[in-house]
Amino acid sequence: MPTIKAVPASPVRRINEPVSVRVEAHVDGSPRRVNRAEVALVREEWRVVDRWWTEEPVSRRYFDVVLAGGEHAVVYLDEEVGRWFSQRGV
Amino acid sequence: MIACLVIPGFELRAALRERPRLQLEPAALAPEPGAEALVGSVTGAAEAAGVQPGMRLGEALAMCPSLQLVDPDPAAAEQAWEEIVRRLEDAGFAVDSAGPGSAYFETRGVERLYGGLEPALKRALKAAGAGWDARVGAASRRFAALAAANVARSGQALVVSDERTREFLAPLPVSLLPMDARRREELEELGVKRLGELAGLPGGAVAERLGPDGRRAWSLARGGSKRRVRGRRPAAELFETLEFPEAVGNELTLRRSLGVLLDRLLARPERSGRALRKVALAGRLVGGGSWRRTLTLRDATADPARLRTALAPKLNDLPAPIVMLRLEALVLAESVGNQLELVRPEGDELRAHLSEGLRQVRAGTGSGSVCTVVEVAPWSRLPEQRALLVPRDD
Repeated sequence: MPTIKAVPASPVRRINEPVSVRVEAHVDGSPRRVNRAEVALVREEWRVVDRWWTEEPVSRRYFDVVLAGGEHAVVYLDEEVGRWFSQRGV
Repeated sequence: MIACLVIPGFELRAALRERPRLQLEPAALAPEPGAEALVGSVTGAAEAAGVQPGMRLGEALAMCPSLQLVDPDPAAAEQAWEEIVRRLEDAGFAVDSAGPGSAYFETRGVERLYGGLEPALKRALKAAGAGWDARVGAASRRFAALAAANVARSGQALVVSDERTREFLAPLPVSLLPMDARRREELEELGVKRLGELAGLPGGAVAERLGPDGRRAWSLARGGSKRRVRGRRPAAELFETLEFPEAVGNELTLRRSLGVLLDRLLARPERSGRALRKVALAGRLVGGGSWRRTLTLRDATADPARLRTALAPKLNDLPAPIVMLRLEALVLAESVGNQLELVRPEGDELRAHLSEGLRQVRAGTGSGSVCTVVEVAPWSRLPEQRALLVPRDD
């Protein structure tokens, strides 16, 4: 069940909505490249599992990474849909 | 219906008004001083010789050695466009100008006046004036109207009904989409060359591959939103000009001239004591062409010292000496003055200052740009569930 839905543009917006990113991962699942930029360091990794009692369960594997260019990013793998997203405000 | 009036290559046409002979020869708008060396709009003869707008200057000259470069004249273009917009407004259209050469307006209010949609569009074409090769498109959505105007021939009014919008847009090239050139190239590399091909893709996949710009383009390819057109507030007709007997490039003289223009403009009785909110500084360059900068003031003011401080640094951007300097008051404030304060504002007064600040931001960036953060579930483990952005247009 996807957790991110395409909704029509509304005047009310959520803050820190996840944004789809292209991630290439190592075999252990940690990110190797984010939007074609090399990951220099994985600072932290954690999981968020929530709403497992609903029709739209959430299961995310978050990674706090530093890219080769020095930028900082937080990306997660949505394990329900198998897609990667980046998110601010984490 | 939303109508869109388009004049292709408007800046070049405006620059060539003084030299109409060049309109029939291969000519192109030269790059602005300091900008990337790409040619702007081109004449029909240049296009026939293989020169395309946006081509590198060297490539364009290699393609057509007889190509004549025309210096951009933004002040003349701005003035000519303002005249056209005013003629449209005089004909009863509430115009939303999208920049020189392109304007939107609603036809609903004037259809009965002119006896239907098509006569109203014909009236708009007539108001634009002969010699500009204006064309107009009408549809129930903005982008479809723009696309129709781009497809229409000179002097033609093309109407696209709502149910035929997708069908009409489908065979048109993706170059009509207002998007970054790199993104457009990326689309074409993926084999997406027509709007219909883009519209047929799943929205989520487009957003994932091309980001928010791609998603917006996808939405436009499907017709875009039905957002209403809001007519602009007509600009104030208040300006002062100083002609120099010989070209002036000296900073001190320019600053003194600006001071003189400011004093003259502020002394004009038409101002009726109102402060200036938006001003423009324009100059005619010695070698031909012109230069223009606009400035929106954070606080509307009629204080010559503050205006001078805000405007003088713009003179440093002048690319060449000038023979004429012009100062225009584009927007005047509604109030006639501010009461000075002896004590720091608080309570209602502070809130009034804050709402005035927000009103200015909205005026500069459009409706929906000022929002309040409303916390809905600050405890949530999902960051996107914690707060909402709610627009404040009050």
